[in-house]
Amino acid sequence: MPMTLFSNLIRPSRRPLTGSRAFIALASILALTISVCAQAITISDNRGEHEFAQTPQRVIALNWSMAENLVELGVTPIGVADIKGYQEWVVRPQLADSITDVGTRSEPNLERIAALQPDVILLSSMQEGMVEKLEQVAPVLFFDSFRADHDNFDVSRQIFLQLARLFEKETTAKQKLDAMDARFGELQAQLKAHYHGNLPKVAAVRFTTPSVLRIFGDNSMAQAAMAKLGLQPALPQSANQWGITQKKVTDLGRIKDGVVIYIEPFEQADDLFSTPLWRAMPFVRGERFAAARSTWTYGGPLSVQYLAESITDALLTLTP
Amino acid sequence: MRRYLVTLALLPALLFAYLQLSSPPPLSVQWTLLSGGAAIEFEDFQFFYATLPRAVLALLVGGAMGLVGSLLQQITQNRLLSPMTLGAASGAWLALVCASVWAPALMANYGAWIAMAGASLSVTLVLLIAGSGGLAGLPVVLAGMAVNILLGAAASAIVLLNDQYARNLFIWGAGDLTQTDWNWVVWLAPKLSIALLILLFAHRPLTLLRLGEAGARGRGMGVFATLALLLPAALWLVACSITAVGVISFIGLLTPNLARALGARRAGDELAYSLLLGGLLLLATDAIAVLASQWTTDLVPSGAAAALIGAPGLIWFTRRKLTAADHSSLQLPAGVMKLSKTALIMLALAVPATAAIALLWSPEGAGSVSWRFGWPSDLVFSLRWPRIVTAAAAGGGMALTGVILQRLIRNPLASPDILGMSAGASLTLVLSVLAFGGSIYQAGPLIAFAGSLGVLLLLLLLGRRHHYAPGVMVLTGISLAALIDALVRFALAKGSDSAYSILGWMAGSTYQTTDGKAWLLLTGVIVLATLCALCSRWLTLISAGDQIALARGLNVKRARLALLFLASLACALVTAVMGPVAFVGLLAPHMAAMLGARKAPQQLLLAILLGALLMILSDWLGRTLLYPAQMPAGAIASLLGGGYFIYLLTRRRAA
Repeated sequence: MPMTLFSNLIRPSRRPLTGSRAFIALASILALTISVCAQAITISDNRGEHEFAQTPQRVIALNWSMAENLVELGVTPIGVADIKGYQEWVVRPQLADSITDVGTRSEPNLERIAALQPDVILLSSMQEGMVEKLEQVAPVLFFDSFRADHDNFDVSRQIFLQLARLFEKETTAKQKLDAMDARFGELQAQLKAHYHGNLPKVAAVRFTTPSVLRIFGDNSMAQAAMAKLGLQPALPQSANQWGITQKKVTDLGRIKDGVVIYIEPFEQADDLFSTPLWRAMPFVRGERFAAARSTWTYGGPLSVQYLAESITDALLTLTP
Repeated sequence: MRRYLVTLALLPALLFAYLQLSSPPPLSVQWTLLSGGAAIEFEDFQFFYATLPRAVLALLVGGAMGLVGSLLQQITQNRLLSPMTLGAASGAWLALVCASVWAPALMANYGAWIAMAGASLSVTLVLLIAGSGGLAGLPVVLAGMAVNILLGAAASAIVLLNDQYARNLFIWGAGDLTQTDWNWVVWLAPKLSIALLILLFAHRPLTLLRLGEAGARGRGMGVFATLALLLPAALWLVACSITAVGVISFIGLLTPNLARALGARRAGDELAYSLLLGGLLLLATDAIAVLASQWTTDLVPSGAAAALIGAPGLIWFTRRKLTAADHSSLQLPAGVMKLSKTALIMLALAVPATAAIALLWSPEGAGSVSWRFGWPSDLVFSLRWPRIVTAAAAGGGMALTGVILQRLIRNPLASPDILGMSAGASLTLVLSVLAFGGSIYQAGPLIAFAGSLGVLLLLLLLGRRHHYAPGVMVLTGISLAALIDALVRFALAKGSDSAYSILGWMAGSTYQTTDGKAWLLLTGVIVLATLCALCSRWLTLISAGDQIALARGLNVKRARLALLFLASLACALVTAVMGPVAFVGLLAPHMAAMLGARKAPQQLLLAILLGALLMILSDWLGRTLLYPAQMPAGAIASLLGGGYFIYLLTRRRAA
């Protein structure tokens, strides 16, 4: 019955709709809409609202932060871009061995993605250009997680919750986020105890060469982690898309009484740390310098927890 | 003498100003530090271990580059020669990228030697290609350009496939003088001491060389013996400098030209003055980079600053002083004299056949990969065909541009990439992305067209005086290409991902094409090719010489303008849709000629077919070879085309 009604509505009917027929049509459309609404999941991404009739089963993540979010939610994607790179740079949380590599993040293989027959494809910042193409294959959700004009950490939480709704993992998500907030409190308490309530200012950096580094400033995930720990930035940088600013190593000399934490890896560490200039840095002289273990700095909300943990561990190695 | 006095007076003044740029300690403390006093405050350490070594390094590297530039230009009597135009930088860059991706441990310990090996190999390659006869004129510059494009494409492809590993290299690639100790100065200074030997002993053979090869031999000096001694010395200086501070172009090219313009005439005078001037120039450039870094709060690499100042400077200084040798062209193997019907038919069949293979044959599967030949599903078909059409149209469009340019400029090496037309289009696209953000794929063809038209206008402006001499054209191309390179590396050094997408776009990929873009490009190229075929008589006449064309009643000026306009339109269209595509515009017309297409319409048709064939093939290889990862078609085309080009050039030498 609904089928014929639909075809009537779609094709211009030769017979005029009589009053009773029109009423039946209207009523059944209404009923249909209501029943769809009860089932459908509406997800809003950066392009607008998307309706999913049911929870997608086969998911492909073309961005590491999206893959990370899925794993945290307990959803195993069928495909992820550049898995080798993920294992090297993101590390935590681990990807299951069953996941198929779908090529590079900048140009993932559309044909292999199509062959995997996904129910939904997840994209993130810098991948907007692929949306149109990928929509030929499956529904696409594009979350522009890193932008200069929003709070990256806040938005990453919202994205995490949106994904949780889509995959019906809202309880898991809430638990994880609550646990994360509790963990922040724990870590802060540890730091406060260690520093006798007087937390130092901290600059979180990543070295690129022995003479150049990136400082994590406003809107970076590292600074979000620091804020949750109650740490003030020692060398504040204005916000930008990824929250990173490139600086000369010597610029760190401006930090008079703060702590510097660098995120590993830094292969040329010996080249820099043995120089007289480095040893003359106020924070090196004052032994307020430590390494934080390798953690992804452009991930989802849970990566902020891992950052907070590694930064705390690094800070706990220093004598206050 | 006055020149030396003024320069020598400028040097300490500039040095003093330079040292006061970045939060220096009080002057009295500076003096104590310089005379051996111990550093106490952090500012003292910064002054003594960062600012001071940076200044010294700038002087050392600048001086070495100036000297090498002068040496190379005097040996070859070619004012366009420099470490950059000889391909040293791109060789070093490729070697470092390879090492950091595949042997990071080796890279950390022996980076210097790896860069040196790369630079030496690439320069040797360029010299081999040009041969001793080609050193004086454009051939060596063009060979250098070709090697630059080839090695650059290889490096980009590797970076694109291994992005996270190679990122830290970009700062070195952008040429940064930032120092944190005296290590590099201590490493570099003794290695540069060979410069003193050059200063002491090179002026005599160089003076003799000015008499010409025959004259020099008459006085008992073999040109080859001199080259064999001086060239490795020059190469050594370049390789050491590149290793220490990365890619700083233009100083070596610009300094000797500036020295001559300021009155350095004798061989020894030019060498010594270039050394002095080079140091001064790099120090001044670096001061600008330091100031810009403070002003923008982001790091501005010295290399980017040098290119921004050097590119226009280069055009300015050399535009009037082109020698006859700059106009000499390079002969490539000639091939058969007459086009055979079989070749034409075979080629006409090969294009659809390759397109069919590209459409039907591909690795498939998610877990285990297997090659499958057969009609693809509707979905896969709709994913594949726009790429194949785009690749074919892009190849045809570049070939069309190449035929027009080679016939107009009467040089077999004229092509959109070497003349800077693609570079102009890329420059405006990259600039628009850097200025307004967003994705380069959405920047659109109009911006690209503005760029290649801009270059065209520049070429016309500069070229009018020289009757569109190849020298001027190539100069513009080199300058623009280096400028873009510096800009892209600057953007990449900032570490933002939009810069990274620029790199992907620069490699020339069909990935981002859409149905609409594919049709637009195809229609555009067909329309332009038809227009060009209609004016093929102009092409025939102009390539026979302006006099003949004039005698046959052709308005050469207008015809040339119209054809150049056509060429830049085709180039902009291709560049906007799939990025700068190198080598196709250079090789397709030449291969057509080798197959015997001597007449303009024949060459046009054949070149377009060949261009399309090469690009379809490149795109297919790029999609399938590393499945599921993909290589941009432009990078594969550069590798195929560049390899073939070098093979052609070496065959020319053997013949």
